[in-house]
Amino acid sequence: MADNVVTHPTSTAPGSQWQPRIIGFLCYWCSYTGADAAGTARMKYPPNVDIVRVMCSGRIDPELIMSAFSRGADGVLVCGCHIGDCHYISGNHKTMARMPLVKRILTDLGIEPQRFRHEWVSAAEGEKFSKLVAEITEQVRKLGPLNWPKLMRERGVGHGMDLKAWGE
Amino acid sequence: MSENGNGSKLKIAKYWAASCGGCDISLLEIGPHLLDLIKVADIVFWPCAADFKYKDVAAYEDGYIDICFYNGAIRTSEQEEIARLLRKKSKTLIAYGECAVDGGIPALANLNTKEEIFHAAYLENPSLDNPNGVTPQPITQCEFGELEIPRFYSQVLRLKDIVDVDYEIPGCPPQADRVWEAILALSGGELPARNQAVKVACRDKSVCDECPLEKRLVKIKEFKRPHEVKPEPEWCLLEQGIICMGPATRSGCDARCPTAGMPCRGCYGPSGDVIDQGTAMVSAIGSLLDASNEERAHELIGQIVDPVGSFYRFSMSSSMMKARK
Amino acid sequence: MASQPNDAGDQARIGVFICHCGGNVSDVVDVERVAAEVGKKPNVVHSGTHMFMCSDPGQALIEEKIKELNLNRVIVAACSPTLHQLTFRRTLERAGLNQFLFEHVNIREQVSWVVEDREEATRKATRLVNAAVGRIRHLVPLDKRRIKIHPASLVIGGGVAGLVAARDLARRGMRVNLVEKTPFLGGRMAQLDQLFPSNEHARELLGKLIQEVIHQPLITVHTNAQVVESEGIVGDFRTRLRIIPRGVNHHLTYAGNAIAACPEETISEFNFGLTRRKAIYMPYPGCYPQMPAIDWRSCTKCGKCAAAVSGKGISLDEEPKEIEIKSGVIVLATGYDPYEPLYGEYGYGIFPEVISLQQLVRILDEEGPTGGRLLVNNKPVRSMAFIHCAGARQYEGINMPQPDGTVNDYCARTCCTAALHNINIIKERYPDTRIFSVYQDIRTYGRGHEEYYEKASENGVTFLRFDPFDLPTVRHDTKEEAPLLVRTRDLLTDNLEMEIPVDVVVLATGVIPHDISELVDMFKCAVGYDNFLLEVHPKLRPVELAVSGVFLAGSCQGPMDITEAASAAAAAASKAAALIAQGQVEMDPFIAMVDENKCTGCQTCLTVCPYSAITKDERKGVAVVNEALCTGCGTCAAACPSNAIHQFGFTDDQILSEVEMLLSDSAVG
Repeated sequence: MADNVVTHPTSTAPGSQWQPRIIGFLCYWCSYTGADAAGTARMKYPPNVDIVRVMCSGRIDPELIMSAFSRGADGVLVCGCHIGDCHYISGNHKTMARMPLVKRILTDLGIEPQRFRHEWVSAAEGEKFSKLVAEITEQVRKLGPLNWPKLMRERGVGHGMDLKAWGE
Repeated sequence: MSENGNGSKLKIAKYWAASCGGCDISLLEIGPHLLDLIKVADIVFWPCAADFKYKDVAAYEDGYIDICFYNGAIRTSEQEEIARLLRKKSKTLIAYGECAVDGGIPALANLNTKEEIFHAAYLENPSLDNPNGVTPQPITQCEFGELEIPRFYSQVLRLKDIVDVDYEIPGCPPQADRVWEAILALSGGELPARNQAVKVACRDKSVCDECPLEKRLVKIKEFKRPHEVKPEPEWCLLEQGIICMGPATRSGCDARCPTAGMPCRGCYGPSGDVIDQGTAMVSAIGSLLDASNEERAHELIGQIVDPVGSFYRFSMSSSMMKARK
Repeated sequence: MASQPNDAGDQARIGVFICHCGGNVSDVVDVERVAAEVGKKPNVVHSGTHMFMCSDPGQALIEEKIKELNLNRVIVAACSPTLHQLTFRRTLERAGLNQFLFEHVNIREQVSWVVEDREEATRKATRLVNAAVGRIRHLVPLDKRRIKIHPASLVIGGGVAGLVAARDLARRGMRVNLVEKTPFLGGRMAQLDQLFPSNEHARELLGKLIQEVIHQPLITVHTNAQVVESEGIVGDFRTRLRIIPRGVNHHLTYAGNAIAACPEETISEFNFGLTRRKAIYMPYPGCYPQMPAIDWRSCTKCGKCAAAVSGKGISLDEEPKEIEIKSGVIVLATGYDPYEPLYGEYGYGIFPEVISLQQLVRILDEEGPTGGRLLVNNKPVRSMAFIHCAGARQYEGINMPQPDGTVNDYCARTCCTAALHNINIIKERYPDTRIFSVYQDIRTYGRGHEEYYEKASENGVTFLRFDPFDLPTVRHDTKEEAPLLVRTRDLLTDNLEMEIPVDVVVLATGVIPHDISELVDMFKCAVGYDNFLLEVHPKLRPVELAVSGVFLAGSCQGPMDITEAASAAAAAASKAAALIAQGQVEMDPFIAMVDENKCTGCQTCLTVCPYSAITKDERKGVAVVNEALCTGCGTCAAACPSNAIHQFGFTDDQILSEVEMLLSDSAVG
């Protein structure tokens, strides 16, 4: 059987209140340090964005973003250094060019554009980061769970379940 | 070419599910090798070309069919039932052609729901004459009794979504030369271990590996559709702004299309161990845009007509997302 | 997405260490519960907490557990990795484990300090540590890259910063090649006269510095030398210089005659356009090298200079030559240019009585065009207005934009002190001169600088403060009391509109970085939005560029005075020398590697690498990463449509397993 649809039970355990589950891909030099700055200043923001760090936002392959959604993320956030500030000179230029295309594909697949955000956050912008997390969490909360694996399971209902070979 | 173990001829079957018929024709494309094939093999089931019935196949012993080529995607319960039947009755089951391997063009239907499809096919359409709004029902009472037709699934599936597949031959259609090589290898027992949906009759790397056009290492300044421009010969089509799926598509076809000046459509599905052909293409294109600011990036991307349809034309069922919400 | 070789997979024996951080974490996150939850995951052999993981006992605990339980992977969940990632990597090394089989999870800055609800914080911490468990299974041992350092340095720029850097490097026993683009050493400092705060004479000081440099056998000076290409990486830079012929050599004895004979003239850059000079020239007596140079753009090769000295010492037909310099480190000391006001800016270029501060300095210089007499447009000066912040602290839409549409919004730092210094000099020599200082803010920040402000006030200078959104204007004085009329609204006297007739307006100009766009490309320097070179970190690593082995000295990094430039140069020399002394440099191993079996040679990776670290091997038809040049950004790994490039430490497997674990947590929230 095909194995690339991962059927994980995500954030919808029965009897409990659903919480948005958002994956944040952050570059180490600017945005991750910016998130740290928010912490150092003890700014409070919702816990719904889980941070996955990479060295440069240029590392963020469209495949990683799609994987997050296809494995059940309700939203994805991508953060990098401002243009001109990239620790690796122009890694973020590539991010800047790729993200709009990823967004286009996601929206053409019916995913609301507010679920995927791409922002520049510098090492000093702790407040910006905390506001960003609060914003995207709220927007995704309003839109409700995406839970792509469940959607696909539901659409596939009817096949394979109790079907026998012809003639049996 | 050798016969099967006990000296009798090889039993070959070929079935078409949700397909166009092209894969059946492609088997004929092996040309004169057909005569070699016929010497050592018997067709025991081939709806396109011979008059065997389902009940004939059901009556075979399990494993009776040596090699079964199953082409076409799976959209209805009939196609699924026959897939299961053929799996039981075949020693080696091969997903033949892009539809069976990755969903193919039929899988683009995943971008619409079953309701939307029925609506367009049966209810609202300029050439319709359906005043009573009749749509297909799985079970209908009529004067002869109960009439049952296959159920229409809400998603297009691949062969390996239904049964265990031994090998896969990608392509729309698979390239005849490669198919013949695979048949030879199969009958000679030279193919890798079965039951793991290993891709054969193709190569691992992407079309760029076989493509004779040259890269000049420039970025894309503008996207053009193939009918809008006469491409400069010998220069990479993608760099010229014509969307060529070459970087994200498996090779084995000898890059015939780009060699002839037409961009690759992606008909061999994803290359290597890439699962999602579309994001591979997004990676490649995103990296090649000539954009120094966000406005320009948006402008360029706005020039791509239907990215989902273009990048997932043949492999929607193999993609990570598989369908539209 | 195939597994990496040597991936621990099922053989992983993971130790998880969760830090209380003295309450900083454990006051919010229930660390015991996190440890218990994570301990249930497969392959987690140890899962416990400690009050301070980074302390000696904390680190000792890790070493102990590694040995006791034969751990082959270690996770520490504590503060941000930016603080102690290195500490714990070293702990692993001491225990005999490869330092990169370590994962640091941030549950303080990104969890306990920012999540209010204890339950949510504990769940989040659990998720993140579980994610690390998923990821760490895919980590493989890595080794830092080691590159040998060639024991020589290259200093680009022969102004005060370059000279100090060269001198200091040589004092530490390092060989130095000092490269200067113009025919003369000294840079902008040579164009100054009295320096603040000591009032020493610039060229005297410079002269001493230059003597130290030229008498230092370890330093080779190249003038008229331009950098045309540079390749390589820290430890092994290869730079090609193009040496333009001077046209004059040491055989020339009567320089004055040669210069007098020259019929071609052009404006003197040394005097900022106040005077003209010949095509064969020396900027000032006492310059170094102590012989003229020929400016080939103005020279017509008429030969009159050679004729005037019987041909000795002048050669008009030499070809430029190229030399290659190998160095282990590079110091950039390319300096600044004083801002040149735009035509029409406060009347500059329209009225001959509007001059820039740099021009005023030349006028006040006794060796300058007027012998030190205060004459502007050939007339004595009775009254002056200094308008501060010309070309600095500008606002879009208010100030005149540069040709590229931008404005200089930064403060240029030194101009207030320089302006007040020169104001005091004028007041000393010409006490009756009426002087107005029309300023935005007075920024005499340095040691001994505030005294200039007080002295100017004592000397009767009138200070008028303008609003940056209502700039002063300079017009022709129609009442003919003086050539110019300066209008300004003075904030100090409750917005009184003033119109002041003055003989001269001096624009206290800011600075801009000297244009080194080719060098920026060559060395892949980060440049700030203000076009000055950008250091790695302004506080912790102020003279280093992100490009390893390239250091910044002086005003190429930002506006600064000579004291600051000399300090920066000394720091750069110190860092550069320390690097060379190490003999080799260690770099992080998170580089990219091509899997030749998957690479199709499509060259998408080549086009995205910011460091041009990828080339195509034409014979094999695959891409090849130059390990020494790769800095580990991973952009190529994201670009490859065939999954044929992996970034060590950040492979798809490693990242995706994190994502999967984060999304698979069956706990809600």
